[in-house]
Amino acid sequence: MNNAYPPHVKAGIRKAIKLEYWTIAWLMTVVPLMAMVVGSSQAMKTVWMEDMLGFIPPIAFLISERLERKGATSSYPFGFDRVNGVAFVVSAVALTIMGGYLLFEAVMTLAWAEHPTVGTTRAFGQDIWLGWPMIAVLLWSTIPSMILGRLKLPVARTINDKVLHTDAEMQKADWMTGIAAIVGVMGIGFGYWWMDSAAAGLISFSIIKDGVTALRAATAELVDGAPRALESDVVSDEAKRLKSALTRRFPSAKVRLRETGRVIQAEVATVPPKTVPRLDEIWPGDPNRAWRFAHLSFVPTSSSKVPR
Amino acid sequence: MTLRPLITLLAILVLVSCNDFPKDPRSTLDHIRSERSFRVGLVSPAAWNEPDPNSKRLLMAVANAAEASPKLVHGETEVLLAALEEGKLELVIGRFEKKSPWASRVTFGPPLRVEQRGNSELLLRPAMRNGENGWIALIEREARNLGPAAQ
Repeated sequence: MNNAYPPHVKAGIRKAIKLEYWTIAWLMTVVPLMAMVVGSSQAMKTVWMEDMLGFIPPIAFLISERLERKGATSSYPFGFDRVNGVAFVVSAVALTIMGGYLLFEAVMTLAWAEHPTVGTTRAFGQDIWLGWPMIAVLLWSTIPSMILGRLKLPVARTINDKVLHTDAEMQKADWMTGIAAIVGVMGIGFGYWWMDSAAAGLISFSIIKDGVTALRAATAELVDGAPRALESDVVSDEAKRLKSALTRRFPSAKVRLRETGRVIQAEVATVPPKTVPRLDEIWPGDPNRAWRFAHLSFVPTSSSKVPR
Repeated sequence: MTLRPLITLLAILVLVSCNDFPKDPRSTLDHIRSERSFRVGLVSPAAWNEPDPNSKRLLMAVANAAEASPKLVHGETEVLLAALEEGKLELVIGRFEKKSPWASRVTFGPPLRVEQRGNSELLLRPAMRNGENGWIALIEREARNLGPAAQ
């Protein structure tokens, strides 16, 4: 299937692969640094967990992209286009469950009124409050994430990849996580112990929200729902226009669309026409996006009459 | 949203935190300075034993730094640490295992002395109430000045 993509989509996929490897490499610096400074701050623990979860989308994307290239086999005659959707569900479930657990931890810490200790360390002959290295690591966790997210978003749109898009949106929004965690740590420094757990709770809500949004879109694809927009779980405008175009071309036929990975498959319940049109002739939207319409099948119905 | 709000927030926080930072949620250090005394539990098997010389040096250093006098009580580990956790003491000094079960309930400071006992290490160290970060910072600074690494 990958060979059918036009050059600009193949280039987008190659760029996405590079960006995801960069993401993994950067996370491999962030996670150990976080482990060194996390201490007993609930906000820091939450950000650390979120960063560890951050490995899942890029790894899922790289695995699914590699499998997608394999093409059809006798055991998998439809190929591996759906691997992308499976990867999406895995990411979404991990986010949702972890977000729920972290929210529970934050609430319990608040309920038990646990005061976090953030002590000091001695470096270069100076005693330094550990909150400052925490904030430095938070900045290293946040700023590159925002940059990577902004770089990934246009690529995700070009190649219509939901895993990449969700990953990009989460990273782009990391500035909120960073600010919440920094405010939590500084709250500890000012003697407002509850700000740490409150920040952790807010960050957890954000993780849950990301997970639930992704889960809704991911399950829609896996249960053969109509193709969804990248940014949400509503049916995409491209899908609506394609369905209208097919309905106009085959009046009184039932038209169904579904998504497999990046591409759309259409099923028209009618007698096949004598001359089957090219898919890019039917595609009603931007010609650069016509590659998304990958499959058209005709399904006979009991009322279909075979033309003589 | 750009980086500017993040940087502005940080700059403000750094500026306002220059004095007396970090602070204690229960104002432990402020109370000690205003009352000019702090309550110390010394862990000792016999109530009237002379405190360890390192413990005495730490107490003197903390008293100078906080401009307050220590009020000493002697007792067993569990009793003193429970009192510390409840806020009835500000500081406990004693010999504790390196992986003490109390590690999540109180904050242990840098060791003043390390003793090897078979497979385990016993550390002479201060313990403070969790979350009183200003007071903890003061104790940690003075303990580091006296601890094995400083000698």
